[in-house]
Amino acid sequence: MYKILLMLCIFAAAPGRAAAAVGCDLNDPDRDVARLFPGSTGYKTRYVSLKTSGGQPLLDRVEKRLGDKFHGLYENIDVPYTLYDIYRGTQTLGYIHGVNQKGEYGGIQVFLALDSVGVIKSFYIQKLTSRAAKDLRAKEFAAQFAGLALKDFEGYDPVASKAAAGSPSAGIKAPAKAGGDFNSVMRAVKKNLILMDEFVFSKKAK
Amino acid sequence: MNIYSIAYKNLLRKKTRTALTAGGIMLSTWVLATLLGFNRGYQQGLNRDIDNMGFQVLLTAKGCPYEAATLMLKGGTGLRYMAADVVKTVYKNAEVEKVTPMLMQGVFDPNKGENGAVAAYLGVDADTFPAMKPYLEFKQGGWFRDNAAYEAVLGYEAAELETREVGDKMLIPGVDKEIKVVGVLKRSGTQDDGTIFLPIAAVQKIFAKQGKLTGLGIKVKKDADLTAFENKLYDLPDVQVVSMAQVKTTIMNLVNSARVIVMGIAGIALIIAMAGVINTILMSVMERYAEIGILKSMGAMPLDVFKMIWLETAILCALGGAAGIGLAFTTARLAEAGVRYFLPYAPNGALIALDGGITAFSFALILGGGLLSGVYPAWRAARVRPLEAIRIEGEQ
Repeated sequence: MYKILLMLCIFAAAPGRAAAAVGCDLNDPDRDVARLFPGSTGYKTRYVSLKTSGGQPLLDRVEKRLGDKFHGLYENIDVPYTLYDIYRGTQTLGYIHGVNQKGEYGGIQVFLALDSVGVIKSFYIQKLTSRAAKDLRAKEFAAQFAGLALKDFEGYDPVASKAAAGSPSAGIKAPAKAGGDFNSVMRAVKKNLILMDEFVFSKKAK
Repeated sequence: MNIYSIAYKNLLRKKTRTALTAGGIMLSTWVLATLLGFNRGYQQGLNRDIDNMGFQVLLTAKGCPYEAATLMLKGGTGLRYMAADVVKTVYKNAEVEKVTPMLMQGVFDPNKGENGAVAAYLGVDADTFPAMKPYLEFKQGGWFRDNAAYEAVLGYEAAELETREVGDKMLIPGVDKEIKVVGVLKRSGTQDDGTIFLPIAAVQKIFAKQGKLTGLGIKVKKDADLTAFENKLYDLPDVQVVSMAQVKTTIMNLVNSARVIVMGIAGIALIIAMAGVINTILMSVMERYAEIGILKSMGAMPLDVFKMIWLETAILCALGGAAGIGLAFTTARLAEAGVRYFLPYAPNGALIALDGGITAFSFALILGGGLLSGVYPAWRAARVRPLEAIRIEGEQ
């Protein structure tokens, strides 16, 4: 109860709890950061959203770059994105960022570990319900994304679920039985890379 | 000029000191009213939450985890079952108004997180469960068509996590069964927000648990003797009785213990404020020693001086008290958000319930305490000897 009293004394400074759409956090950041970024010595977590980073014009730009509208109750301008800045000492090694994507049977959480210039180091599906879940979470499938960057997904059309012929993203092989969930994963990766470009890399370039 | 306006004008002579003292009184009143409101709000909320559970008694198989959090901690294992016949046995009791059978199942999903996690499903009776949970409202859709349908109703947070809307499909891992989402609930602030509800017969079929239950919610008639009824249930073999009344009593006992400490601290805040009042008024009397002496030499009686100083105290406390009550009302929601942040369990609804009774009591206590504090300074002022006061002033 002493906490209540303490709170009552400092209540004026207490922030209100934000009511917003669901975000995408690592389940166990300490363990996951060490696994996705071996050699890292620390990380910082920050929260960004399209609403606070640029509002409707930014959402319009992201949708245009994605080639698809944000849809559904859970993909909107209010979604809080969790961004992990990864450090070795004071040097920024890269970033980890996850997005939620609507799949055939449930939400898919797709995380990308990016180096300091936006190239994918690791790909990780944290949560997935699918008949091809085992294959989509397999190391072999994840390895196909390593070394790719946003420019490699620019030709991917999430509406038609097709990659531009000859583009590196066209070379990513879908596991058997993955069906619509493969397309959901590809859309999530492209969305993730676009958001990272808007939140981090394009700002760095400026 | 009457005595009231003299007292009021005296306070205005030292505006900063008056404002600071009134501010102290305001804070004390705010703390007192907020704490009293919290006590009432918490108790009302707890009663509401228990009532909203729909049933006063939960029957489970002995040793069975009866809510999802325990099931998760146990990794989806450790479930024990009662025969569905228990419904008939319980219904035979005259005290029973309604019962609702439940079957909880947990499935280990290897594709959740790095090491997998448990997905829990609660099978409920479409005919009786909704009536037991009148507070559940739908954001989309509604309850199942029948108890055997492969359909699901998702709690608010479960739907968010799974990004499901009405018409979407879900897959139960391990058993490879598809179910259709027919309803998404609004946020209720209860455990139901994270629950995936399925029709009970469908859960029994999917998990091959026909004729088995993990829980039975029992709503007792209003005039029934709950304790006597619970004692009857204890005689049933291999079941455990979870009494919501006992849960409520336990929580309220904990809250009541804490209330004593809270009220003690509120009392200290009140004493500090009163000490501030004594200090301020006494200082004011000392500063006006000669002036009071002149007043008396002009014919003012000791009672007039006493009333004047006492009125100053009363005005100060009334202003501070009223401001404190206003502050308590305007910051109630903010204080509530803070309480929810710090408390491990807080019931739904308004946690700080301020009403006329509480505000009147707080105001009266502050005013009464203030008037009591004003007695000594007023008495000192009333005892001032005119000639001595004027002489001392002249020497200074």
